[in-house]
Amino acid sequence: MSDGTAHKQSFITKYIFSTDHKMIGIQFLWFGTFWLLWGGLQAMLIRWQLAYSGQPVPIIGKLLFGASDGIITPDIYNQIFTMHGTIMIFWAVTPLLSGAFANFVIPLQIGARDMAFPVLNMFSFWTFFLSGVILLASHFLPAGPAAAGWTSYPPLSTPVGGIAGHGQALWALSLTLMGIAVIMGAINYVTTVIRMRAPGMGYFQMPLTVWGIWLAAILNAVFVPIIAAGLIFLLLENVFGTQFFIAGSKATVEGGDPLLYQHVFWIFGHPEVYILILPIWGIVSDLLSVFSRKPAFGYRVTATCMCIITCLSAIVWGHHMYTTGMSPLLGKAFMFLTLLISIPSSVFFLNWLGTLWKGSLQLRAPMLFALSVVFVFGIGGLTGLYLATVTSDIYLHDSMFVVGHFHYTLAASVLMGSYAALYFWFPKMFGKMLNPLLGKIHFWGTFIPLNIVFYNMMVTGYAGQHRRLYDPYIYEFLQNLKPLNTQISWWAWLLGAAQVVLVVNLIWSLMKGKKAERNPWNAATIEWTVDYPIPHGNFAQMPTVYTGPHEYSNPAIQGRDWISQTEKLTAAS
Amino acid sequence: MGTLFQSLIHSALSGIWFIKPPQDVSLDGYRIDKVIHYTDTVVAIYMAVVVLSLVYFIVRYRARPGHKAVYERGDKKIYIVATVVLGFTVFFSIDAVIEAMAFKDLKEAFWNFPKGANVVRVEVMPQQFAWNIRYAGPDGYFATDDDIIAPQNQMHIPVDTPVVVQMAPMDVIHTFYIPHFRIKQDATPGMITSFWFQAKESGKFEIACAELCGNGHYRMRGFLTVDSPEDFRAWLEELRQEQEETDDWSDWGEEEDDSGVPQDWGWPWNKKI
Ligand SMILES: [Cu+2]
Ligand SMILES: [Cu+2]
Repeated sequence: MSDGTAHKQSFITKYIFSTDHKMIGIQFLWFGTFWLLWGGLQAMLIRWQLAYSGQPVPIIGKLLFGASDGIITPDIYNQIFTMHGTIMIFWAVTPLLSGAFANFVIPLQIGARDMAFPVLNMFSFWTFFLSGVILLASHFLPAGPAAAGWTSYPPLSTPVGGIAGHGQALWALSLTLMGIAVIMGAINYVTTVIRMRAPGMGYFQMPLTVWGIWLAAILNAVFVPIIAAGLIFLLLENVFGTQFFIAGSKATVEGGDPLLYQHVFWIFGHPEVYILILPIWGIVSDLLSVFSRKPAFGYRVTATCMCIITCLSAIVWGHHMYTTGMSPLLGKAFMFLTLLISIPSSVFFLNWLGTLWKGSLQLRAPMLFALSVVFVFGIGGLTGLYLATVTSDIYLHDSMFVVGHFHYTLAASVLMGSYAALYFWFPKMFGKMLNPLLGKIHFWGTFIPLNIVFYNMMVTGYAGQHRRLYDPYIYEFLQNLKPLNTQISWWAWLLGAAQVVLVVNLIWSLMKGKKAERNPWNAATIEWTVDYPIPHGNFAQMPTVYTGPHEYSNPAIQGRDWISQTEKLTAAS
Repeated sequence: MGTLFQSLIHSALSGIWFIKPPQDVSLDGYRIDKVIHYTDTVVAIYMAVVVLSLVYFIVRYRARPGHKAVYERGDKKIYIVATVVLGFTVFFSIDAVIEAMAFKDLKEAFWNFPKGANVVRVEVMPQQFAWNIRYAGPDGYFATDDDIIAPQNQMHIPVDTPVVVQMAPMDVIHTFYIPHFRIKQDATPGMITSFWFQAKESGKFEIACAELCGNGHYRMRGFLTVDSPEDFRAWLEELRQEQEETDDWSDWGEEEDDSGVPQDWGWPWNKKI
């Protein structure tokens, strides 16, 4: 552990093989942003195919798909949506939340000098990086990357599935490595939060951001090993021809079971939803409080609800498998358990609204994004009801309704929440403010198209369009959806274009942005008590915590409307 | 540009009002539509409450000179009780209701497989990328010489008659999906899955594969023809005679005949599921 004194660092130890949680966080930030843009570009290509099926992709088509004259073929289409899902979940959102923000924020918010295991932290990033290199390389295989969907169900994802080349093997390999990186990170975060909180910071003095990231890390530590085991089996199928997941006439040995993979996948896969959303819940809860100038409403209840949901998330995976022919008893049990999640979710959702109630709402860029999460997560959460119900799921399963729904929870909520976090912590990360006007343009340019795109995806699913169709319009019952799908595509391209505003803002602000003050948002948490650039070791003097994370507008404070967690309530007056 | 803009605005609004699921022609599909409509209504109400409170709070409590936040931690007992009560209200107004509806429908319809002499039994073997369909033939048993094999991708059933389907795929997972019947069932290698349905109207409907099964997934299209019982029997009989004439069963055991359609599949009807 660092002793906090300044020490000499070479370029390599400072910027590349850094053990400083802040630098590792920033590395994860750029890494995740790269993949976010890459995965986003793939989304644009998917929308091209759904709007202008079989026509050559303009401008970049020849460059990307030279062999087919710029036309997306069925093989390429399957590769693109497989990579889009895989990348967005595991290489964009995971590094951003459980990499960038977790790393940057945890030690600063709990008042620690660094992570519990700084070297492990460095290994986590570089393992992640390596997994990304392998995944990226798989795009350039002669037969292309994996094409069995982000879920990669066997037998399709095994050699008997008929997908050419080695894409599936590299997919499984890169995901296994990614899993190892995530486990390393998770162990670090869990330990750091348990062991390294500053004096005075009990669990119920922690910011809700830390709560969210911590609970997500616990889920990661418990469930990623399970999927990693499944992925190693899948890798063996593809490299050594084992048959753990192969059955029926294509099996040459007995005892394989494709359903086993689905269980293993979703035992991890459902908690994964919460791994991605829990940090966002925490961040949004804190941000609503900061920008309402009010304590987070029912703080302890919110934290407790997040814990309950974390536990429940571990026992509901069967709702992804209602149509597999699951026994009625199991179907009912999974449905009941899934619906139970409504109760704690509603309670903490109400607490979000309670935080706004009677506040003084500052509609600055991070707050706009945080408020939009309340809206999009409301829709994402409520539309989950259709899929939790066995009967409506029979009709909606594997349809674009599912795609729209999980884009509301994962893409909309997580993306808007990550942007809120980025606008909020950027000043502490880089010492510069992001331009607020560009921030607002970016917000509206994202918020409006995003809702139109994901909402109408649900509509097309409700109208019968099933997932992963290269050309939906060969079906008569889907032909009436072509105009709507084309319009969704145009909105999606608008959504993509709006992200250019963010990129411009990032570059412009880094170079010419206004210098950030120590505490530009008048926030109470500890990271705002240190000046940029924060030295290796974070604190010249170890902080002691006296108050909760949300002391805003306390009548006992005079002269300003907040006190930092490191100040005594009496001393501030 | 004008029309593009108009159509963009149109698409923002078109969803709910203009686009409907395919017409339901099944006996029990209405149950699924009913659950969806109930959920729609309650979700719309709760979402309206959320949006209205958001808008109200943003307008009423936005920061402005002279306006101050009220220091309210929301940790008084009354607030905790209120939020938890509201949480349970949500549960009992949506979750408990749709759960009750779903359990009832599963018990009365979807998991209540029909028995009796009039039931039509069909075996389906999906493969990359086609549907193979088989009927028991005169002896009433499957996987016997007199099985009737339908032309690939052509399933026929009689109207107003319960139909039970058992499925096992040849290669990878496929999902049997007929939107007009609100039916979706996975077919997974190594196991037999089943479902049942009943048509209340004649006509020709599309069968689709809903589970990604390879590069031909999107074109794995079949047809379900719902005939009058007489026409259905006539169709079966015609097929049977055709197969009696052309088939010599000496090549039983070989993977495929020259049409590329697998012949030697089928399994004794599984009575346990
Ligand atoms: Cu789930
Ligand atoms: Cu398919």
